[in-house]
Amino acid sequence: MVLEKKGSARVEAGQRRVLDEATRQRRLTRQLEALEKDNFQDDPLSSLPPPGPTARLPAFSETEEPEKKKRKTRGDHFKQRFRKNFTTLLEEENLSEKPEPNYLSATAPPSSLPPRHFCCVCGFPSHYTCTTCGGRYCSTKCLCTHRETRCLKWTL
Amino acid sequence: MATLVLDNGAYTAKIGYSQEKVSVIPNCQFRSKTSRLKTFTANQLDEIKDPSGLFYILPFQKGYLVNWDVQRKVWDHLFGKEMFKVEFADTSIIITEPYFNFTSIQESMNEILFEEYQFQSALRTNTGFLSAHHYFHNKPSELCCLVVDTGFSFTHISPYCRSRKMKEGIRRINVGGKLLTNHLKEIISYRQLHVMDETHVINQVKEDVCYVSQQFYMDMEIAQMKGEENTVMRDYVLPDFSSIKKGFCKPREEMVFSGKYKTGEQILRLANERFAVPEILFHPSDIGIQEMGIPEAIVHSIQSLPEEMQPHFYQNIVLTGGNTLLPGFRERLEAELRSLVPAHLPVSVLLPANPICYSWEGGKLLAHHPDYDEMVVTREEYEENGHCICEEKFDI
Ligand SMILES: Nc1ncnc2c1ncn2[C@@H]1O[C@H](COP(=O)(O)OP(=O)(O)OP(=O)(O)O)[C@@H](O)[C@H]1O
Ligand SMILES: [Mg+2]
Ligand SMILES: [Zn+2]
Ligand SMILES: [Zn+2]
Repeated sequence: MVLEKKGSARVEAGQRRVLDEATRQRRLTRQLEALEKDNFQDDPLSSLPPPGPTARLPAFSETEEPEKKKRKTRGDHFKQRFRKNFTTLLEEENLSEKPEPNYLSATAPPSSLPPRHFCCVCGFPSHYTCTTCGGRYCSTKCLCTHRETRCLKWTL
Repeated sequence: MATLVLDNGAYTAKIGYSQEKVSVIPNCQFRSKTSRLKTFTANQLDEIKDPSGLFYILPFQKGYLVNWDVQRKVWDHLFGKEMFKVEFADTSIIITEPYFNFTSIQESMNEILFEEYQFQSALRTNTGFLSAHHYFHNKPSELCCLVVDTGFSFTHISPYCRSRKMKEGIRRINVGGKLLTNHLKEIISYRQLHVMDETHVINQVKEDVCYVSQQFYMDMEIAQMKGEENTVMRDYVLPDFSSIKKGFCKPREEMVFSGKYKTGEQILRLANERFAVPEILFHPSDIGIQEMGIPEAIVHSIQSLPEEMQPHFYQNIVLTGGNTLLPGFRERLEAELRSLVPAHLPVSVLLPANPICYSWEGGKLLAHHPDYDEMVVTREEYEENGHCICEEKFDI
């Protein structure tokens, strides 16, 4: 989203919504999940018009390679086991019942250093907290931008 | 018999025969806006003339191999006649996997290596094991080393006492180069220009302009200054893939500090982004990830190890993985460790000449080691004993 520079901000102090802790946490989780994404845009292949009533686009890259020299056992990796995502595989490992150290226990624990705060608009050190969403800001200018753009976004 | 060494990273495969040199090749497939029907595999990326809006198809998720279809396409391409022309029946492979790799991924790996490709023999191991082997090869008098591997998916700290992995000391921070690029993309898109679809371009911006600050709050002050005093600020000329094939920083003397450029290029102006993004490796909590940063996690790891070994680990820290190429990374890490570790203990952090291929080079050395034949599982052994022999022999 490109930052829009609007003239005046609607700062209606006193009557703004205040997000509860659970909502704030969900919002953070969504932001962090977005940082794991491989792509934000759609697959260019999926945005093509369908080639015809009967033709079906293959799921992956079968379109090139005119000579399809497949190994006999190729069907193998269409087996269930080869089609699981990270979360499923992690659950299947059943780590809570396995001895440590394991994938979960190896995660670095929380830092013992005090948290640092940065303005969510400009990225410079910030001293103030938005009462609505708990986001940080550094100046009235950034607070206005924040409220016009992101303050109550992604709160589902 | 030939030995093929493959450090199978989530971003790039580091691959080559043990008699030859290494190649670094994208370990994924791509689709482009300009030829939407074609899927490009690995180094076919070079055929894409306009990689704007490049779409990635990655075999890994959070550092673990989950998309075997894509991985098989990339391996078929790498092993095939266009590239390494592998004679499977006469080739041994050394291949890397992440720490605590899931059982089912390990089994799939055995099946694909032995049953589908039919390698003569295989050695499956962790990237860090090969790095430690490399380190001890260069420093034969040392007993301990701490491998820091910060690549695409995450960052691992792993202590080795000679060839023994000290499992209880392994720490993982869920910050890697992928997250840094995505975060940079996000803040640029919010602050100045929509680049959410331009992972490829912004990854290059990251590699070209980001650095690790030595004095974080001082750099913040400089980055806030107006005009020429702001020595942190850079104007990055984005590629348009016709006249500008590759992005670059405007030379200082051509920078326009107030007003617009008249040259018509598309410019990104970067100031605190340059060092605030890499800072996440040192303070994941800056963006709300409740984990220790690298220096703190190193201390946490070493403190979990036998006390008499601890001084040896502090003195033998080796950096691997792409993020360690960020300018200032080694200096900052050493300085922070210096302030965290008791003064009487020496701290020494080594940045090898090629931190991305350090592990691969270790694999190459291992392939020539007299004990190599005892470390592998042969296809015959696998056919006779199945997964158990792999589980027994490989320390994943
Ligand atoms: N000069 C550089 N400056 C900053 N980052 C870099 C540089 N060179 C490479 N990188 C980053 O390093 C990452 C890739 O590192 P590396 O090759 O060690 O990962 P990998 O082994 O493929 O992944 P993993 O180990 O997580 O499976 C990428 O995110 C890339 O952008
Ligand atoms: Mg790696
Ligand atoms: Zn601000
Ligand atoms: Zn707010």
